[in-house]
Order: sequence, then structure tokens, then C-alpha cells
Amino acid sequence: MTTATTSPRVPVARDPRVSPLSRATSSPVLRLVVKRLLMAIPIMLGVTILAFWVLSLIPGNAAQQLLGPEATPEDIAQLEEQLGLNESGVSRYLDWLGGALTGDLGNSIVSRQPVGDLLANRLPVTGELVLLAFVVSLALAIPVALLAAYKPNGLLDRVSMFVSTMGLSVANYVLALLLVLVFAVQLGALPAIGFVPLEDGLWANLKPLILPSAAIGIPLFCFYARFLRGDLVDQMQQEEYVTTARAKGIGPWQVLIRHAFRNSSFGLITVVGLNLGALIGGTVIIEQIFALPGIGQMLLQAINTRDVVVVQAAVVIFALVAVIANLVVDLLYVVLDPRIRHDSR
Amino acid sequence: MSGGEITVLEDAAFAGSWPAGLDPATNTTGGSNIAMNQAIFGGLFLLTADDDGSNAEVTPNQAESYEISEDGTQFTVTLREGIEFSDGTPLDAEAVRWNWERDLSNPCTCKPTWPLAENGIEVLDPLTIRLTFTRPYPAILASFPASNVNWIASPAAVEAQGEDDFAINPVGAGPFTVVSNQLSSKLELEKNENYFKEGLPYLDGLTFQSIGGDQPAYQALQAGQAQVYEGLNTTPLLDQAQSSGQMQVTIQPATSPYVIQLNTAIAPFDDVRAREAIYRATDFEAINEGIFGGKYDVSQSFTGPGGKFHQPEIEGYPEYDLDRAKELVDELGGLTVRLGTISNYVATQINTALQTQWEEAGIDVEINDYQLSGVIQEFTGGQWQAMLQTAGAWDPAAGVGVGFRFASGVPYSGVNDPELDQLLNDAAATVDEGEREDLYRQAGELIAENFYAPFGLAFAPANLSAQGVYGPGITTKIPPILVNAGVIWDEVWQEQ
Repeated sequence: MTTATTSPRVPVARDPRVSPLSRATSSPVLRLVVKRLLMAIPIMLGVTILAFWVLSLIPGNAAQQLLGPEATPEDIAQLEEQLGLNESGVSRYLDWLGGALTGDLGNSIVSRQPVGDLLANRLPVTGELVLLAFVVSLALAIPVALLAAYKPNGLLDRVSMFVSTMGLSVANYVLALLLVLVFAVQLGALPAIGFVPLEDGLWANLKPLILPSAAIGIPLFCFYARFLRGDLVDQMQQEEYVTTARAKGIGPWQVLIRHAFRNSSFGLITVVGLNLGALIGGTVIIEQIFALPGIGQMLLQAINTRDVVVVQAAVVIFALVAVIANLVVDLLYVVLDPRIRHDSR
Repeated sequence: MSGGEITVLEDAAFAGSWPAGLDPATNTTGGSNIAMNQAIFGGLFLLTADDDGSNAEVTPNQAESYEISEDGTQFTVTLREGIEFSDGTPLDAEAVRWNWERDLSNPCTCKPTWPLAENGIEVLDPLTIRLTFTRPYPAILASFPASNVNWIASPAAVEAQGEDDFAINPVGAGPFTVVSNQLSSKLELEKNENYFKEGLPYLDGLTFQSIGGDQPAYQALQAGQAQVYEGLNTTPLLDQAQSSGQMQVTIQPATSPYVIQLNTAIAPFDDVRAREAIYRATDFEAINEGIFGGKYDVSQSFTGPGGKFHQPEIEGYPEYDLDRAKELVDELGGLTVRLGTISNYVATQINTALQTQWEEAGIDVEINDYQLSGVIQEFTGGQWQAMLQTAGAWDPAAGVGVGFRFASGVPYSGVNDPELDQLLNDAAATVDEGEREDLYRQAGELIAENFYAPFGLAFAPANLSAQGVYGPGITTKIPPILVNAGVIWDEVWQEQ
């Protein structure tokens, strides 16, 4: 697994050069945060430029969309001028960027509603969905992986790995429809579609999110369980510290949980962090199937109507989430491994 | 009979999409949002029919009566007395004039394409308004129920809210009023207490919910989370719904057959031989039998059996002839085609089958499917080659009718044929139904003769509903003016 290359087991050499930044911030954790946030700037810029450019490659624009199929070139040109779509891509992007930096994400070209409002309505939906999917997947994956790794190739291991392989090979929209068929149609236990805001009560809010978050979370669970189980087995079989611990007479469960799991969690955190992007991508389809008014649904509609302003806002959110997820992964390393805390990188 | 709330599902790829809101003057997706518009605005006219879909006719609704002058150049509408918008202001001739002028002055191509004379909109008295045209235009009546001019918005509300907010929170005089509107996602409506029809609407609440296609919609209905789904077209689900007996299935009369539009303005279909090759390589009967179990009618012209002037066979129609197709492809030195369509089950199945049939004739085919907006972008971009579309309407002159697809200058065909224009215009301008039928037959022959676009299955989507929910267009048949049948929401009721 290439994602586990930042293994803390490799001793990290101290960097003799001390940057001005590290002089200014005495805490290594704070330094890491500041450094990462500074790095986020070019990343975010790159992502938004790319989104702007890619959308401009697709034929048609919002003016055409707004005017409908029979629009004459004159009508389109007139509306393009009104909407500022006739200006060069660079100046439109800079306009947008200027606004975005001052907190003004502009108005949707198609619905003319403030994008900030759209995001405020839709972020909680996607946020909850993703969070629940994570909780479901990790809450299932960790115990399953530990049980499987306790006795590699044992019955439990083979069953759980078989099931998780199956789970991985099912597309999440197929899984979504199956879950609805069983839990909503046959059992009538959970809603098939819709979203209820948190103001209407916690259970009312959670209930319609269970199936969609399971549809996203189950394939993730399968992936995490397989990944973690593999890493745990490697640790248990190959690492000296495991042998040492065993020699000290520490019980096998304790070795597994306290020692091997602690080390394997680095790999898991990395994988989880990297997965977040794909996970948000997955919400686009799931939100569509479960009729959830989230960012994914908004993005899809905005791409269809060439609503650049809304697409940009969604892209910024996705990129921010990815950047923050990476930062959190790094911070978790620091928390979990004291060696990094003393490293000045 | 009275009371209850229902949720209606609409496919996100079509009617479940209203990205720019629901203001009749700016709603370019109006043709697909007829359900929402009927519920909010009611409509001056409605298309009604007997329960089995026969005897369909345009009947006055908020209008009390209409008159078309003998020469067809004047259309006079008399409104019912005492109708008020839900904000309490009157729906009178002034309000109608204000709406129509606003529709006409808007750059939106959803505006009416009336051949209006100068100062052609006149208010005759508080309840009477008259349109005067530069040429006979009796087809105006048939086009009304699917046109944005049918939906009358409250001028006071537009002025008070401003256009942008009005599109989100529209105010009309229909059976329901808007509670909340999340664009292209969910529209919640409640009973209009001020509605002009005594005892109507029956329902207390009506919610439109956009959903990602037939399968999730079917399951949501099975799970009891929604009561109606408009526009099911996935044939296996249709069979399943019919055999399970869990829900009511109403297959609407087919009005628009599919047509393979060929962009005659650019290569390869600016060459008549390439167009003939497509006709000769296409066997719609086989597709109907092979994929759809012979469920649908095949038409050789632009109106299906549920519409006016249906002509199943056209004289001289170029029939399937694989050898001739191969010959033509050889003559052309090969033929490569990009074939697109809107992303729905029937359309994409047909396209896949067409790809196979055409490849047998040596034609290379790339198929694509698009959302509604994507199809529109492709058409207006002008670089499309072949597109599977629905061809007509309940009345060929109405809405997205044959003129919309074949008239010179429209982006849908590249056809630029004054003779065809003349026939279609004459047909639209003729009051006598027998004469109109003859003109449309000639138009069908002309299209076939020039290999402009082969016609195919006449298909209409089905409406599904939970047991205990009834209504015109849901459990009875109404020919779709465009695609989905026009449900009359004020008369929808639920067993309590």
C-alpha cells in the first residue's frame, strides 16, 4: 500500500536548517498547521482555475441555458453581456476570485440566488452524510479487522475477508438500491428518500440518512477492514516489537490492540484521509438516488446548467475539505507519534 | 374525498429540474414543468379528455370562453368573473395583458411565437382580452395548455418581490400556493384557500420531489414515501408495476413518436445519400418487437396514435433495406455518426439498438446520452449530427410540435425547406380539420421524400400512483401535449 509510506517506524532525521517560520512559531504543531495552510493557497488557486477552465471547454453556457432552445445569437450575446459572460476567462476568473477572497461567492447565474445561501442550505446535508458514512465504516471496520487479524486464515478471517471483497465489488448505487429494497420497501423500517433538518429532531433527521450513509459507508468499511487487517497481520508477523512484547509475556489481544493496532492506525488514518475526496465524489450519485439536497446534487445541477459560479463554490468546498483532511491526518500523526513532535520539518 | 397530502416524484433528468425557478416569463424548462405550473397557476386553458383519453380537447379553465374569428386572425378570451390570485389581487384582463406583454418582452425563448399584429393585445373590458394576428393563427388554442402564456402570474406579487425572488416564490391563482421551493429539489405546496372553484382542490398539500430516475422513484413509491410518479418509461419496471398490483399504472396515449433528427446543415447529413443510408439501416419494427415486446406503435409521421392527425403510414416512406444501406455507405466511402439522446430508458435502449443496426450496414456509430439541458446545449451548439428525439405533440402545431423540429432556422434539424415551411404554416393557419389533416399528410410525405428524419416508436410515459390516489391524468388518461400527461391537480384526491 503506497499510502502508508509515511511510516513512523522509519526514524526521521532532524533538519538542521531552521526556517524563519519555525522561529516565529515555537510550537511544532502550530508550525505544521501554518505551513499547511500556506501550502493550501496555491492548491486552492490551482483547483479553482482548473474548474473554471474545464467548464469553459464544455460547449454552451449559462446564457444559452437561460434563454432556452430557440435563442437567437443576438439574444444570447445580449444576455452574455448582461451576465458578464462575454468578458475574457481571465478577467471573469479574477472577478470571481476577488469576490471570493472578500467572502462574496456571488450569485448563481441561473437562479440568481446568493451562492452563500445555497451552500448554507446544502452543506449540512452532505456534511452529515459524509460524517455518518465515516462513523459507520470505521466503527465496523476496526473490530472486524482486529477479529480477523487475531487468527489469520481462521474461519472468522476468511468469512470477513470474503464478505468485504464482495462488498468492495458492488457499485455504491447498486448497493443503495438494494438497501432501499430491503430496509425501505420490504421491511418498511427506514425512509427511501428525503431529508429532514436537524431542527425537526435528531431521530427524524438521522433516520433518512441511515440508508444513504450505509450505501457510502459499507464499501468504505470493506476497504478499511481489508486494509487494516492486512497491516495488522504484517505487524504481528514481522515486527520485532511484537516479538519483544510477546517475549515479555503480554497476552495476544493486548499485543494486537495496544501495539500492532497503534502502529497500523497510521496507515489507516492516511487511507481515510486520502479517501475523503473519493467519498465526497460518491455523494453526488447517492444524493441523487436518495433525493438529498446536498452539495453533490447542487454540483450536478450546476454543471448541467453551466452555472460556473455555483460550480466554483462547490469545487472550493471540496478542495478545502481535502486540504483540511490532509492537515488533520498530519496532526493525528503528531498526536500518535511523539517522534514527529520533536521533528522540525 | 377531501383532505390529505401527497408527494409526487419527478425525474431529475426531466420534469424534476427547475433550475431557474417557476416564473412563467423566464422558465425555459416550462415544457417539462407543466405539473408544477398547473398546480401553482392553474392555467387559462386545460387539455381535458374522457377517462380513456379519447375526445381530448382544450377547454377553458380560468378563461370562461374563447372565440376564434372566422378568418382565424383574432383570438378573444373571456375570463371567469371573480378570480383572485392567492395574494388577493384580481386575475382580470389587465393582469393577463400585463403577463403576456411581459412574456413577449422577455429575452427568454419560452416567450410565445405569435404572429402578433402591432398593438395586437387589447383589453376590451375588465374580463375580455383580444389578440390580433398578422395571419390566420387558429392553432393558438391547441398550443395554450403547454405554453408559458397559459400561466398567469400575479403582477402585484412580481412587483412586490422582484423577478428573482418571484421565480422562487411564485404567486398565481392556481389550486395550490408555494410553501417552500428548493430549486430542482423539492417544491412544497399547500391548498389555496382562495381558489375559485368551489370545494377544490381536494388535497391539503402537494409536494413535488425531484428524484434520480425511474428505479429510485419506483422504490420510493413502494416504500410508501411518495404517492405519484410522473413519467415512468423503464419498460421492465412498467411490467413489474403492472403485474405486482401494488400500485396503479396508467399508460398515457402516445402523442409524439421518436424521430432520429439528422443535422442536415452539416456533414455527413448535408448529403442526401447519408440520410437515406440511415433510413435504410433503421428497422424500428424490429426494435419494438425485440426490446419492448411490441408494446408501442410505430409511426411513419410526426403524430402518435393519441394525437391529432395520426398517420401510421406515409406514402413513399423509405423502408428498411439493409442492402441498399450498405450500397450507400460504400458509395459514400464510409459513414461515421455521433448519435445522441436524452438519458431515459426507452431512448437509450433505442439508441443502443440503432447502433447495432447501423453497424450492420457498415456505419460507425458513437452513442451519447445527455440530461435535458445537455441535449439543449448540443442542439444550440449546432455541431450535433444525429439526435433521437420525440417529434410532435398532441396537436402538431402546438408547443414542441412538428414546426419546432422541422421549420427553417430552428436548431433541431438543419432543415431549410420553404416548401415544408409553407405546408406547416398553412396547416397551422387552417381552421378546417380535414384540410389540416391533408396538409400534414403532405408534410409527412415531403419529410420522407427528402430523407430528413426517420420516425419510430410512438411512446408515452406511464404515471404510477399508490392505491387510493386518483385524478385526471393520474388514473385516467390525458394525451400528453408534450411528454408527460397534463395532470389536473385540483381534482386529484386521496381515499381517507
